[in-house]
Amino acid sequence: MSLTKDKAAIDQWYVLGATQDFPIGQTVATWLLGGDVTVTRQADGFEVTGEGRRLPIRTHYNHLWTSFGTPARDVFALPEAEEPDRRWLYCGGVRVAASGLRLIENFLDLAHFPYVHTDILGSEEKPEVAKYDVEQRRDVDEIWATKCEFLQPKAAAASEGGQISQYMYRVVSPFNVMLYKTPPTAPNRWDVIALFVQPVDETHAIAHPFMLVIDPSSTDAEIIAFQQMIFLQDKIVLENQRPVQLPLQPGRETPTRADLSSVLYRRWLKEKALTFGTEPRTDQVSDFA
Amino acid sequence: MNEDWTPIALSRDVPAGVTRAVRLDDRELVVWRGDGAAHVWEDRCPHRGMRLSLGFVRNNALNCLYHGWEYGAAASCVRIPAHPDLTVPPSIKANAFPAVEAGGLVWVGRHDAGTRPEPPEAVTPILSLGVDIDSLDAPRLDLDLPGGTLHLYWHRVTAGRIMLHAVSQGDVDPIHAAARVRHLRDELEQQVAA
Amino acid sequence: MPKLYDYVLSGSCYKVRLLAALLGVKYATQTVDFYPGREHKSPQMLALNPLGQLPVFEDDGLLLRDAQAILCHLANRYDPTGNWLPRDQRFGQVMMWLGFAGGELMAISAARMVLMLGYPGDVETLRAKGRMAMRVIEDHLADRQLAGAIWTVGDTPTIADIALFPYVMLSHDAGIGHEDYPAINLWQRRVRRLPGFVGMPGIPDYF
Repeated sequence: MSLTKDKAAIDQWYVLGATQDFPIGQTVATWLLGGDVTVTRQADGFEVTGEGRRLPIRTHYNHLWTSFGTPARDVFALPEAEEPDRRWLYCGGVRVAASGLRLIENFLDLAHFPYVHTDILGSEEKPEVAKYDVEQRRDVDEIWATKCEFLQPKAAAASEGGQISQYMYRVVSPFNVMLYKTPPTAPNRWDVIALFVQPVDETHAIAHPFMLVIDPSSTDAEIIAFQQMIFLQDKIVLENQRPVQLPLQPGRETPTRADLSSVLYRRWLKEKALTFGTEPRTDQVSDFA
Repeated sequence: MNEDWTPIALSRDVPAGVTRAVRLDDRELVVWRGDGAAHVWEDRCPHRGMRLSLGFVRNNALNCLYHGWEYGAAASCVRIPAHPDLTVPPSIKANAFPAVEAGGLVWVGRHDAGTRPEPPEAVTPILSLGVDIDSLDAPRLDLDLPGGTLHLYWHRVTAGRIMLHAVSQGDVDPIHAAARVRHLRDELEQQVAA
Repeated sequence: MPKLYDYVLSGSCYKVRLLAALLGVKYATQTVDFYPGREHKSPQMLALNPLGQLPVFEDDGLLLRDAQAILCHLANRYDPTGNWLPRDQRFGQVMMWLGFAGGELMAISAARMVLMLGYPGDVETLRAKGRMAMRVIEDHLADRQLAGAIWTVGDTPTIADIALFPYVMLSHDAGIGHEDYPAINLWQRRVRRLPGFVGMPGIPDYF
């Protein structure tokens, strides 16, 4: 395995884990974009090295971020992190034998709720995905999907009975996404559920689910278990999609109107000329003779 | 023997309403049966590439597990649950291979496959099992048993592994036949290990 | 009311959840933060189970660990038919499969923990042991099906089927697919049709 040469992938911030995943005084070996990374945590902070050099560090939102390159922007803004009544939940890294890009797309997808999260996030009686809005916000270089809605039998750990959940999706970088959804106990606010994806190599990733939620009653273990349950239900899909790498070539897959956010996401990846984790294309003329 | 066709499963192991994932020379295939004959398709939904073998059979159609897209026996997609009012374009279809059932087996053919296989038909299905060897010398091995004969067909799963498909002819005790196939499996694997 | 110390992603806990659902046994659940919290190793949990494992089951003053033992307890106490844990010559056969389910088959659980949660372990060795265990089950179920039967022991489902089912179904998390196991494919569909059946994440609801 060796570090990718894909500049679009290199020049991004990536999560290596929640800061609590790294015990003080220990060194942890991990991987990023095909390269080896070492994390050492002392009482006064982190040291991250990879490819024989010190790598830059950020600790936004109690996660450890690093980069092999020079990202154009700092780690994204998250105003909800300032709200004092939110519960912060770190669900732990889960390894998936899939391209990290598939994880992001699955996170954006609504149409699978009745079949993969049956009687929880959706049910077969109501599979229709209503039209929603998508936009590419060029000022912050993010993809947003808004006015998404789905009838959910059990929307969250604290739910007692069904609700119509409002959703918004926000892709802040090719491997980092979050959604905003209606909390069962506070219908005029948003729960934040994020998926920070650590691409190990082109066909393996570590998913770090992170939640900033309004929930006055559930235990931490119950909220974490709910999110892990949802993610493990998705894992069997993620690991069984073919090809393993995300195809960007037209005609390889068949999106419909319900897939609007993933269509925009893939267009955005192509605009960035990102190739890491994507299926090699046969329809383009090479720049090199 | 007919090289256009490869046996990949016992018909008995794909009863009505069942899907079975089969790997043939590292290609992923799904064998499934609705109300009639067994189908052999590429194990991949054209929507987002999900393996159809993890899907479910309902009303003579194979439904993909990911979004419930429904494929009829002719391999065309007939329903997309996220868009209940949509008439699905005929271009959306699963990749179906020629398939026949003969001699208690499901055979998959090349797209230009010619005459059907004609194995012995008066047979009793015994079992299919994996053997960690790369190949056998012939497309079919015949073993004598008390009361009859065991026919062993096979296909290569991947380098170093095949699946044997055993059917019997005559008055053969099926449990005894199964034990004989396992004995052969162990012998073949020990030869490789030696 | 009995209480289960539970973790949603644990196949061992699922053995108990599944049999309880099939028997119609109501129980309280205490969710344990197995990962990332390692709560099963906390002093409070070690006091309940010195092995630091899940599931743990409390019932009327009885405190039990070991999924196989809890299955025996549930069948013993809550099954008026006596079929889930039969006492005739099938008893020894059921025990044999329980020992295997908690023994050799657990190589799949160990491989799953390495591949999914980054636990230490040699995946190749564990996966080879897992495949050997799957082959033992497949050979047995193939013979049962040739004899016109479907269940692991006897003509009705027993706790042997319940003990085997979770890690057979979660084998894909260990990198072991079901392509080589046609008899397992047919058996698992019958298990899923049992009245009261519940699944777990990783075992899809549709099949």
